[in-house]
Amino acid sequence: MTFIKSVVRKYWKVYVVAVVISIILDSIGTLSFNIGLGTLTILPMVFATIVGGLLGPDTLKLFDLKESKLGGSLVLVALAPFMAKMGVSAGANLSKLVEVGPALILQEFGNLATIVISLPLALLLGLKRESIGACYSINRDSNLGLTTDIYGPDAPETKGTFAVYIVGSVIGTIFMSLFVNIVASWGIFHPLALGMASGIGSGSMMSAGAGTLGTIYPEFSDQILVLGGASDMLTGITGIYIGTFIALPITTKLYKILEPKLEHFRKKKGVA
Amino acid sequence: MVRKYFVQQLGLLFIVSIIIILTNIIGYNMTIKNSIIGIGILSIIALTGLTVSKFMSKFVKLPSMMYISLLGLLLASPISPIKDFIINSTSQAAFLAPTTALGAFAGISLGKDIKSFAKMGWKLVILTIFIIAGTFLGSALVAQVVLRLTGAI
Repeated sequence: MTFIKSVVRKYWKVYVVAVVISIILDSIGTLSFNIGLGTLTILPMVFATIVGGLLGPDTLKLFDLKESKLGGSLVLVALAPFMAKMGVSAGANLSKLVEVGPALILQEFGNLATIVISLPLALLLGLKRESIGACYSINRDSNLGLTTDIYGPDAPETKGTFAVYIVGSVIGTIFMSLFVNIVASWGIFHPLALGMASGIGSGSMMSAGAGTLGTIYPEFSDQILVLGGASDMLTGITGIYIGTFIALPITTKLYKILEPKLEHFRKKKGVA
Repeated sequence: MVRKYFVQQLGLLFIVSIIIILTNIIGYNMTIKNSIIGIGILSIIALTGLTVSKFMSKFVKLPSMMYISLLGLLLASPISPIKDFIINSTSQAAFLAPTTALGAFAGISLGKDIKSFAKMGWKLVILTIFIIAGTFLGSALVAQVVLRLTGAI
């Protein structure tokens, strides 16, 4: 009990503000704006991150640097029950996993392709170690947990994951529905392959992608949704293991190789 | 060492659970009883996972999130004798509910870096687009090849 008291004394300000933010934003719920091209979605969590950020030492100065760091140590604790929930959902769906077969499991490794495409880009844009956290995965919830856990809440790697997580939450669904249209028009992929691919590890992005595909290929729409959903669930289950054992080691290695070369290139070109 | 860590995490999880329970009740219309049971179970799984991870870190260093998610998976998997209880009691806890508080903590923590984020603004948007596009195309390519090889299409 004395321990809890000392915890409360240390964290009360950060804690009370977080309670107030959560209660207000959870009662508002998810915001969506139709911007013509599609719908921009802002989940309470993303909104809470933005509001919390604005209260920090850089802008509204409600919190100083020390309190801001305390927020970071609570992130990991708040993530823990959430990861338990993800684990339970995965376990509950384990039998479905066996049904969907090897094609879907192999396809999960296709997610790794993004590393080779996005890491060089991130380095060219001037990101440093942030690029490791940003580029090793699609940066959904389980990845957020993983990076925070491995590198710590204040590490540049975690900031990279967080940045892409937030941007992805806001623009992800719009981008998926547009991009799926474009890729489908190339005509090189089978509708079922595209359906599987739309399960990238985010429920909302999957629905946007698979939903759009369903309208392009109405004769496959049911199968597309089933495959997309299964692949999405699978990414949720395998993401944390692929991330730990494959994706992060590959990204870190590639970073060590590419960073010095691209740094040299950037200096020569005089890019800021 | 492990014991001290256990007590410390217990305290922190306790105060964090209160926010999560509150947001569950207010934002997702859960009953107070269901919310406390659901979040309580998730927190126990989390605490066990964290403690096991701390203990295991003497032998092999793996992310504690992995132990937590694996423990949740095992408890809810078909081989678990208590799977019905675990799944039913936690299915009430809204999937996204714990994350609003998480977002608030994360925001407060990121507050010291707002300037550097703002400076990277458009670059982050471009990067995010490439990451999503790369993941989608990579999966589509593998799926296409595997489906073709197995004769499914």
